[in-house]
Amino acid sequence: MPGFLGEMFVQMTLPIALQIVLLGFIGGILSGFIGSGGAFFMTPGMMNLGIMGPVAVASNITHKFGKAMVGSKKHGELGNVDKKLAFFMLFTAFVGIRLAVEVMKALFNVQGSHGEGGGAAADLYISIIFAVILLLVAVSMLADLIKSKSSEETGPSTKIVEFISRLKLHPLIYFPVADVYVSLWVILICGLATGYLAGTIGVGGFIGVPAMIYVFGVPAAVAAGSELYLAMFMGAWGALNYAFEGMVDIRCTLLLYGGSLLGIYIGAYGTKVVKEAVIRLTTGVIILLCVLSRIVAIPVYLQKLGFSNMDPSYNDYFNLASKSLLFVSGISGAVIIMFFVQKAYFQRRKLETSLSLAETPSST
Amino acid sequence: MQIICISRGSHGYSSELAEKLSKIVGFTTISREQITDKATEYGIPVGKLEMQIVRQRPLSEEMSIVADMYKAFSTAYVCERALKENIIYHGRTGHLMLPGLTNVLRIRAIAEQEYRIKLVMERLKITREKAKNFIFHIDEDIRKWTHTLYNSDLNDPSKYDLTLNSANLSTENAAKALASFVELPEFQETASTNQALQNLLLAANCRLAIGSDDHSRNVDVGIQADNGNVSVTYMPRQSNEAKAIPDVLKSIEGVKSLVCTVATTNVLYMAEKFDPADERFISLTEIAKKWNAAVELVRIAEEDEQPPAYPPESLLPIVTSTNGETGGILDDSDREVSRDEQGFGITETLDKLIQLGLAGGSRTIYGGVDELFRSQIKTGQYSLVAIGDVFSAKGAAAQRLKRDMLSKLKEKFRVPVIGTEDLKARYLFGPKQLFNMIGFAVLFALVYLAVFNFQEPILTFVSKGQFEGTLFEKAIAALAVLVSIPVVAFSIGGFYGNFLKMLKVE
Repeated sequence: MPGFLGEMFVQMTLPIALQIVLLGFIGGILSGFIGSGGAFFMTPGMMNLGIMGPVAVASNITHKFGKAMVGSKKHGELGNVDKKLAFFMLFTAFVGIRLAVEVMKALFNVQGSHGEGGGAAADLYISIIFAVILLLVAVSMLADLIKSKSSEETGPSTKIVEFISRLKLHPLIYFPVADVYVSLWVILICGLATGYLAGTIGVGGFIGVPAMIYVFGVPAAVAAGSELYLAMFMGAWGALNYAFEGMVDIRCTLLLYGGSLLGIYIGAYGTKVVKEAVIRLTTGVIILLCVLSRIVAIPVYLQKLGFSNMDPSYNDYFNLASKSLLFVSGISGAVIIMFFVQKAYFQRRKLETSLSLAETPSST
Repeated sequence: MQIICISRGSHGYSSELAEKLSKIVGFTTISREQITDKATEYGIPVGKLEMQIVRQRPLSEEMSIVADMYKAFSTAYVCERALKENIIYHGRTGHLMLPGLTNVLRIRAIAEQEYRIKLVMERLKITREKAKNFIFHIDEDIRKWTHTLYNSDLNDPSKYDLTLNSANLSTENAAKALASFVELPEFQETASTNQALQNLLLAANCRLAIGSDDHSRNVDVGIQADNGNVSVTYMPRQSNEAKAIPDVLKSIEGVKSLVCTVATTNVLYMAEKFDPADERFISLTEIAKKWNAAVELVRIAEEDEQPPAYPPESLLPIVTSTNGETGGILDDSDREVSRDEQGFGITETLDKLIQLGLAGGSRTIYGGVDELFRSQIKTGQYSLVAIGDVFSAKGAAAQRLKRDMLSKLKEKFRVPVIGTEDLKARYLFGPKQLFNMIGFAVLFALVYLAVFNFQEPILTFVSKGQFEGTLFEKAIAALAVLVSIPVVAFSIGGFYGNFLKMLKVE
């Protein structure tokens, strides 16, 4: 499909525009429900629509900036933001993002042996990082869920927190909202990793939030609120860096907003009406399907780069399979969440409101 | 009866202090260890709860219920004993255990670090370094426990009446000083404190009954009890299990009326007087309906108003209407109103809330706004705190004082705190919101039209970085993206926010 400016930006037809809005809407629902940015769904979805990986990441991180700004304001009102923690992570997160942008720039200019691989190296790199990181997240999430069911132990594991606290890596800094002491070095390393992944695949939250919970020992609500606050600055920094390199497709960002800012309200409502175990199970399965979708797309990039002798005519099938998997995971996740939301919405209107005690023996 | 609560760390001198004080004043001592043993016998897995908290595992729904049950058990145990005899409770969170009870003497007993180290070395036969390390970890565990169970900082001095330090005061003299202190009129039992104690006991007993019944044990409930009138709130998703609650509570001694309200969250409404016909109250109920929230009323009595004496004859039976499951025929039941509810609109307002299915209980705080800040209202359970008319006796200064109060409460509750006069503009859909929605929609549409009608020039401008633009051009393009994005996000967010408000979906 011919695009703008040397095919760097996709030709925006109505079906593509509507699909991006839909991606934004589903990503928004998942984001509101799971508490992460939703980019794990939107970035590969955009790549499946023919948008180059770095452009998809750049547009997404720009989208994340505005969305995090709106979201962190709400979280702040609820007292879930540890600004001190976010600021400590911010410095190295900025370094991580800049590093990611540099790597992306270098890979973006790698040409495949067929001469058609402009951006394929970057796409392959994004897909591999995406698959590895999210696979780890999904597997540990589901393993934790199964473990908590069998051993009656609940909540995420604290083995890492305990291990690090035993090391006593001074200086230890106290964060009052989260009510934890964390080593400065651990914060800086986690900030770097969060920034690097936010800059590479646009899903810093998938590292930032688990890092805060599993490594720092921060309560889940504070982790989500503080990460969103951090994401606002990381998004701004990422947007600035990618925009400086001319990689942001502002049209995609606007279309994502068109869907995501509506979806996020629905997803957030879902967390109030769905049981914790169901939330974690749904999240884990959706992420696993997203990972699978990305893995299916990898042979196409390998072929474009000349690492595989696969018949190029198969590319369309792989792309279709990848796209279908992604949409099935996102749509089914969104449908499940919306089912619970609408059930709760109508239920609240007909539920018993007040029950009376007709007999009160003790009062007589 | 009189109550002294000593909050202590591990291996300090407060157990010794409690015993010595007990010998002087003749009060019975109750320790935390006694309560945890009894709670474990009762079937509450206290050890498991403690491990979860110490290991900083976020509490699951099930474990939150265990924590709630443990708190209820401790409260019930202490209240029951305190209704029969004078007591001294010594434990980690004694000062937080009886919220709102004004005659409790709350003490923080701090032992000198050196004393603690020596004690640990002697008792555990370990080295000095290990003893120091041991104390550090135990203190940290106690801090986590207090924070998780009561969302409170153990070292917050505003939560104590007195802090004693063993470095400056011997145990004997501390006990003698406390014996004199407890004679002060502020720490004497009155009819009002007795009633407050009974309220706490009744709420705790109801909580234990719900948590011990097979049908309702998994329901996460909020309970308020006021003079036998019990108010229970529970989440919509637990409505099936919650149907058992009236049967479970039937047999609880002291329950005169019960209101069960399904609520996703709670709204706290504080004022000096209430009026169910007031427009601001109607706005609040509209918000509560939208959010599926229960409204809890807290009357802030004026500074000079004395608590009532609660003689039995002051209890006036009134008729309360409650909706059935289908919202059909209204049943009548006896609900008793105490003297402190009369003349302040609480009864009428609460009845209105019951009719609307939004009742979250009511109570009165004596001692004015200052007492409100001292009181230990659970700060984590509300989504909104609305303040009605307060400081009415202060005339022209009332507005300024209310503003100060709002900002202090924001600090305390960490949730939106708002004057009832601003509720409509902030949370409901009116002409202003319609105007905003249209404005945002126009801005939203204009941005889209501009970007999609001029795709090529806009993309050429923002992609300078890819096509060898000058440093200045790249910087301008990056800044343009950075500045325009928040505007777009807030306009689209503003449009959807108002649109959903219009549909009453929030």
